[in-house]
Amino acid sequence: MNARAGATIAFDSLVVTYPGADRAAIDGVSFDVPAGSFTVVLGPSGCGKSTLLRSVNRLVEASTGRVLLDGGDVSGGDAVALRRGIGYVIQAVGLFSHMTVAQNIAVVPGLLDWEQARIDARVDELLSLVGLEPQRYRARYPRALSGGEAQRVGVARAIAAQPRVLLMDEPFGAVDAIVRASLQDETRRIASELRTTILFVTHDVDEALRLADRIVVMRDGRVEQAGTPLELLTAPATPYVASLFGTGTAIAAEASLRDVLAAFSDGAQRLTVRDGDNVGTISFAALRQARGDNDLS
Amino acid sequence: MNLTRRSALALTAAGLLLPSCASGNARAVRVGSKNFTEAIVVGEIYAQGLERAGLSVERAFDLGSVQIAMAALQRGDIDLYPEYTSTGLVDVLHIAPSSNASSNYRIVRDAYAKRYDLVWLDASPLDDAQALATTAAISQKFKLTTLSQCAVLAPQLRLATIAEFLARADGLKGLQKFYGGFQFKSVQTYAMALKYRALLDGADDVALAFTTDAAILGDRLIVLRDDRNFWPPYNIAPVVRRATLAREPKIARVLNALAPSLTTAAARRMNAAVDIDHRDPATVAAEFLKTARA
Amino acid sequence: MSYLTAHPREVAWLFVQHCALVGTALAIAFAIALPLGIFAARSARFATPLYGTLAVIYTIPSLALLAAIVRFFGLGFWPTVIALVAYAQFVLARNVAAGVRGVPYAQTDAARGLGMTSLQRLLRIELPLATPVILGGLRIAVVAMIALATLGGYVNAGGLGVLIFRGLDAQYTAETLAGSIPAALLAIAADLFFRALERRAIGSA
Repeated sequence: MNARAGATIAFDSLVVTYPGADRAAIDGVSFDVPAGSFTVVLGPSGCGKSTLLRSVNRLVEASTGRVLLDGGDVSGGDAVALRRGIGYVIQAVGLFSHMTVAQNIAVVPGLLDWEQARIDARVDELLSLVGLEPQRYRARYPRALSGGEAQRVGVARAIAAQPRVLLMDEPFGAVDAIVRASLQDETRRIASELRTTILFVTHDVDEALRLADRIVVMRDGRVEQAGTPLELLTAPATPYVASLFGTGTAIAAEASLRDVLAAFSDGAQRLTVRDGDNVGTISFAALRQARGDNDLS
Repeated sequence: MNLTRRSALALTAAGLLLPSCASGNARAVRVGSKNFTEAIVVGEIYAQGLERAGLSVERAFDLGSVQIAMAALQRGDIDLYPEYTSTGLVDVLHIAPSSNASSNYRIVRDAYAKRYDLVWLDASPLDDAQALATTAAISQKFKLTTLSQCAVLAPQLRLATIAEFLARADGLKGLQKFYGGFQFKSVQTYAMALKYRALLDGADDVALAFTTDAAILGDRLIVLRDDRNFWPPYNIAPVVRRATLAREPKIARVLNALAPSLTTAAARRMNAAVDIDHRDPATVAAEFLKTARA
Repeated sequence: MSYLTAHPREVAWLFVQHCALVGTALAIAFAIALPLGIFAARSARFATPLYGTLAVIYTIPSLALLAAIVRFFGLGFWPTVIALVAYAQFVLARNVAAGVRGVPYAQTDAARGLGMTSLQRLLRIELPLATPVILGGLRIAVVAMIALATLGGYVNAGGLGVLIFRGLDAQYTAETLAGSIPAALLAIAADLFFRALERRAIGSA
């Protein structure tokens, strides 16, 4: 599917201040993103996570510090060429409304002067990958797509030219919860098939836990903690991180429903579930929803 | 290229060339005129007079204002055009005209020569001055024949006029200052074409008139006498570029010979032929020239 | 209709001249308004003085503007075109700017992020999406120009204005109508034409 391995990304004391702002949007951020990993940047609105993402493809320029792609400073070179090698998915999708689905997906390959036959084949391949039947969707216009379908096309467009890095800025924030869940699963599946490095931004804790190999928690332009979901759940470095992931109460995966409900009655909104080294969470809200769907006795 | 594209291209090329055709013959005399009937007729008279004398002439009628005509004249886009002595004084030189026709002419001729290097040839008797007119019926009813009487009777009379009359210094304001009075019962503005209609229909009692207007011919309308000589005479004459005269001295001879025949009465008749009978100005001018020679 | 039937070739010729004035002026005005509008859309610092200048030009009385133009460029076709082009900028430049600025930010952001150059973004995304609004501006401008081209009747440029002004002065209604009715029909036709183009443009955007 994707022949090239993902690139590493590194932030080195990055500071970004927008002109006219009184405080920095990114105030000294340093962390590494391993090649091929799915790294989620998690934080509330205004924490600088979108700015961080956009500093990778230079839609935002660093004020001081560096952003490194495979060890090379991204600011040394042509920004346009850089962006053609980086996939970019945004919440508002931004499909070009005067172009068909196929033409949208073909944009970057077109910019890279691929032959038409190769582009056509790639479009069909990608539509299948994101779960849209090529025959039905190739010639459609964006206005004839649902929110979920549009974002699938947005993802296909972003990875069309086999980028080594994929940037995703709260891509599922604008779709409803049910569609969001299926899109998240699709993303996880696609990520495991590709070897692209994925940097994913969200404010949704559940989404982060569902998707991430590594989570970086940000607040007020700084990194609170970076690590695996397990580390963040079991060893939160700051009170803020702890508040995000619940009190740290853990129950075993084989626990009975009564134990789970008892743990919730303490007032927690979220519980950590351990199954050996695997860890996940279950939120109270999700439990109530599941209870409605299944016949729990 | 297929046929339609070729013809479209040809049409465009023709369209682009059209304007430059106008400046084709460098030796021709370009006669301009403003775009109302009398100006066009006099312009035709000048043009045809010169043609009969053997000169080749191009016409550039339809000039919208004295400023446009002056700009064209100074630039050389036209060589000559007919203008009124008092228009030259008021609108170009900003000098107040007197009621003496010959002193007006002398002043405007000398000033144009000095300031613009333009020559005023001999003026004609034609006097296209402003005036006030009324119907025979109203004139009888109020015993109204002069402007002095009108000044006093104005509060009982409704005026039909054009917007310019209210703005010009020698319009209503000037009348009020010079004669006193002239506080009309009502003042209505119309398009130039409609003011006589209003008078004849009885909607108004007095109307602004120009002394060579075709509508004055006949006896339905009476022109009030300017008994204190407020309004200056507006005599017409050719205004010519000095360089053109130097090149073709014939122009002065021909046009000066024509000048005396252009009287107010002749103008009224010619204006009527064009405005009322809808005859072609060129034909009317040609007829005038035939009788003028004789 | 009596004037039209009495002088068919004269009216036809003046009609052609009128169309030539408007067509030429529209093409030139658009060629100027397009870059002006694009710069104005990108830079508020440029836009404000630009719109101010164009508004001033727009409110200069036409006879005064014409006299000034004649002073420098003479009589006839091209000076009239210059006047029409000057007046049209007020509407056209602003519509181009409005059209470009009206393109949804998500699409221009995506275009930038995917790796289009500024020029590619302009030609492939912004201008195509701005087309309906730009066409609307052209529609308004062309109808205004058909009316303004009557000014040709003041500077020996021909056009239907000649009939209108002469007819008005001579109180010859038939002559005036022979000028104003074809002009009105031309304006209606131009309006319908551009509306049809707008519909097609909106349909594919």
